[in-house]
Amino acid sequence: MKKIRVLLPLVLFMLIAGLLFRGLKLHPEKIPSPLIGKSVPQFSLSTLDNPNRTLTQSIFTGHVTLLNVWATWCEACSIEHPFLMHLVKDEHIIIDGLDYRDDDETAKKWLQQMGNPYQIILTDPTGNAAIDWGVYGTPETFIIDKNSHIRYRQIGAIDETTWTTVLKPLVEQLEHE
Amino acid sequence: MIPELGTFAIILALCFSVLQIFHGRQSAVFGQAIFLSMAMLSLIICLITNDVTVLYVRDHSHFSLPLFYRIGAAWGGHEGSLLLWCLILSYWSALFCIFGYKKMSKQISEKMLMTLGLISTGFILFLLLTSNPFFRDFPTALIVGNDLMPVLQDPGLIFHPPVLYSGYVGCALSFAFAIAVLIKGNMTTADARACRIWIILPWSFLGCGIVSGSWWAYRELGWGGWWFWDPVENASLLPWLSATALLHSLIVSEKRHTFLGWTVLLAIITFTLSLIGTFLVRSGVLVSVHAFANDPTRGLFLLGFLTILIGGSLLLYSFRIGKFYQNVNFALFSRETMLLLNTILLLTAVFTILIGTLYPILLDALNLGKISVGEPYFNTIFIPLVLFVLLLMGIAPHIKWQKDQTSTLLKLGLPFLFSSMIVASVSFIFSTTLYTLLGIFFSAWVLLSTLQYAIKIRKNSLRHSGMIVAHIGIAILALGITFNKTYSTEKQLRIHPNESIQFANHDFYFDRINTNQGPNYQSVQAIFLVQHQKKLIGEIDAEQRIYTSHDEILSHPGILFNFWRDLYIALGNRFPDGSWSVRLYYRPFVRWIWSGGLLTVLGGLLSVLVRYKKEKPA
Repeated sequence: MKKIRVLLPLVLFMLIAGLLFRGLKLHPEKIPSPLIGKSVPQFSLSTLDNPNRTLTQSIFTGHVTLLNVWATWCEACSIEHPFLMHLVKDEHIIIDGLDYRDDDETAKKWLQQMGNPYQIILTDPTGNAAIDWGVYGTPETFIIDKNSHIRYRQIGAIDETTWTTVLKPLVEQLEHE
Repeated sequence: MIPELGTFAIILALCFSVLQIFHGRQSAVFGQAIFLSMAMLSLIICLITNDVTVLYVRDHSHFSLPLFYRIGAAWGGHEGSLLLWCLILSYWSALFCIFGYKKMSKQISEKMLMTLGLISTGFILFLLLTSNPFFRDFPTALIVGNDLMPVLQDPGLIFHPPVLYSGYVGCALSFAFAIAVLIKGNMTTADARACRIWIILPWSFLGCGIVSGSWWAYRELGWGGWWFWDPVENASLLPWLSATALLHSLIVSEKRHTFLGWTVLLAIITFTLSLIGTFLVRSGVLVSVHAFANDPTRGLFLLGFLTILIGGSLLLYSFRIGKFYQNVNFALFSRETMLLLNTILLLTAVFTILIGTLYPILLDALNLGKISVGEPYFNTIFIPLVLFVLLLMGIAPHIKWQKDQTSTLLKLGLPFLFSSMIVASVSFIFSTTLYTLLGIFFSAWVLLSTLQYAIKIRKNSLRHSGMIVAHIGIAILALGITFNKTYSTEKQLRIHPNESIQFANHDFYFDRINTNQGPNYQSVQAIFLVQHQKKLIGEIDAEQRIYTSHDEILSHPGILFNFWRDLYIALGNRFPDGSWSVRLYYRPFVRWIWSGGLLTVLGGLLSVLVRYKKEKPA
């Protein structure tokens, strides 16, 4: 009996260690967006070019869209920006923008300088719409299918590698759905 | 050149640590300490000169980062903090060589140094193989650094990690002691006495680290809370609780030469928890507000080492513990029983918190979904245990060793009476809950009965001053927590400049908005004037910083504090109509929590000083 008792701490520790080894293989930070596969959240937002015009989630129906969440104060966005320009010009992708917690005038100036890849630019000065979309930070990009369901969420800037390996194949598949 | 020197210094330190395993010589310890200091110095020089060819510098610094934070950046990232871990271990070992080596029997001291060498070798290998901070990469294009994470850009960064790490790593000493004792097969009273300061010191550092971490989170995160039961916070609380148990068990081992096996086991558990803490923080197994860079291979290495080291020592424990069995030589009602109960309660608390912290991994491992365990669980389990510990804390010092009459309890009538009276009057004046009343009662109980004890032993009070101060600190801490939890209020609202709002018996007038340009951020400051009973009592500047290099917005709350309460404002978004969203917090007694914690730390340091002074003439 005593022999078994003295082994108890060891057994307990091994159980915990085993659990931790298992834990290493899990990725708690990769919580898939609960929005994947669901319709886009409802919204009613102004556009950058005309603050009096409000648009709703209906803008996404009928075509595959990339919704890019960006801001002028976001440096990673300005790094990503030339690539978005390239996508629109050379690959004819439709990209809409969600201008996150930004100032309209600054944003307009910024786009004049850097070029405008966006078909529609929604403005979200308070960041409330971004909360509905579950945005962590900028830049983030959602891929939305023809039935305005969210199919993928890219956290961080899109570059050549992520585009060719992940995003492009998905966009092509969605085009044929 | 400097980065290569750094790597070279680490390699030399590794050689010394290997030497230390086989010889247990003091010179190996000093060699290690010197070369690891050189490595740390090299890293700091790389950061100060902003040498972007070093990956670590590129990832954690920026040309606009102030000098102060560049030094702090040396432990702001994974590689650097691991180097700090190794460095501190070598310092502890060196301190032990200078002040402790000769006080213990040679067999024990030598074995301790060997064990410390083993730990050191493991960690320096880990540093070199998976996390070398001096790894270089020569970029072809001009690049700038990624900058230090904004949350870390706070004066707290300079002090908090080194202090907390000193606590974590210091637990290695009592672990080494346990291993040495197991190998030798007995623990003499003299050895137990000599070991005590090597438990109290790390325990004090841990306490100080927890307090400073709590204060940092309170000031930086803008949530108005001082404890979140976050995995990383738990990782520091667990070894502290276990070290507290160890501390008390060791007293019994020293004075009564009993509980020897229990002390040894607690020492192993304490160090295990401190290693698990390091692992949890460094491997990314758990997600927390402290989002450090993660890498699975690092986790694997660290966990493998931990399993071998701790598994090995527990195996040794199960083989050798038979030598430590003794007959029970104390009565049921005695100080021994009280202290035993106390250690069991603390260890129970450790396990419940550990379960709560690891439960999300368990569920995830069984494919039952991803969840997080929050405050309700921890509070439900932790509070009753703590109340019970407080009850014992008031009684134990008054009870005699070995055997005492239950009638001794009657002498504690006065503290009991006064505590009850305080509770009765509080419940009469304020609205309260049961837990509040219990919290107040037990805090007062510990405070008063400790004071009574101090009066009783006043001739001998210097010897026990550490314990008295530490116990009073806990009483103040418990009182602070009770009041803070019960009477805190908060409010979220939208407010225009030049508007006024009433909250928690104060008037807040939103005076103006200032915009500033910091060294590497832009900030917006909302200035509030605070009035109490029509009298201006101060100004609160709630700030929001946008760190351009990180594209991160950080709320930097404004706080107006006095002895009794904090008024705390966190600034949120601006709305298109010019109004701002703000959160107001009223936080009573929050300073008491940290003061109590610091007093406990002070108690620990005091007892070390008293011991050192007493031993000197002899």
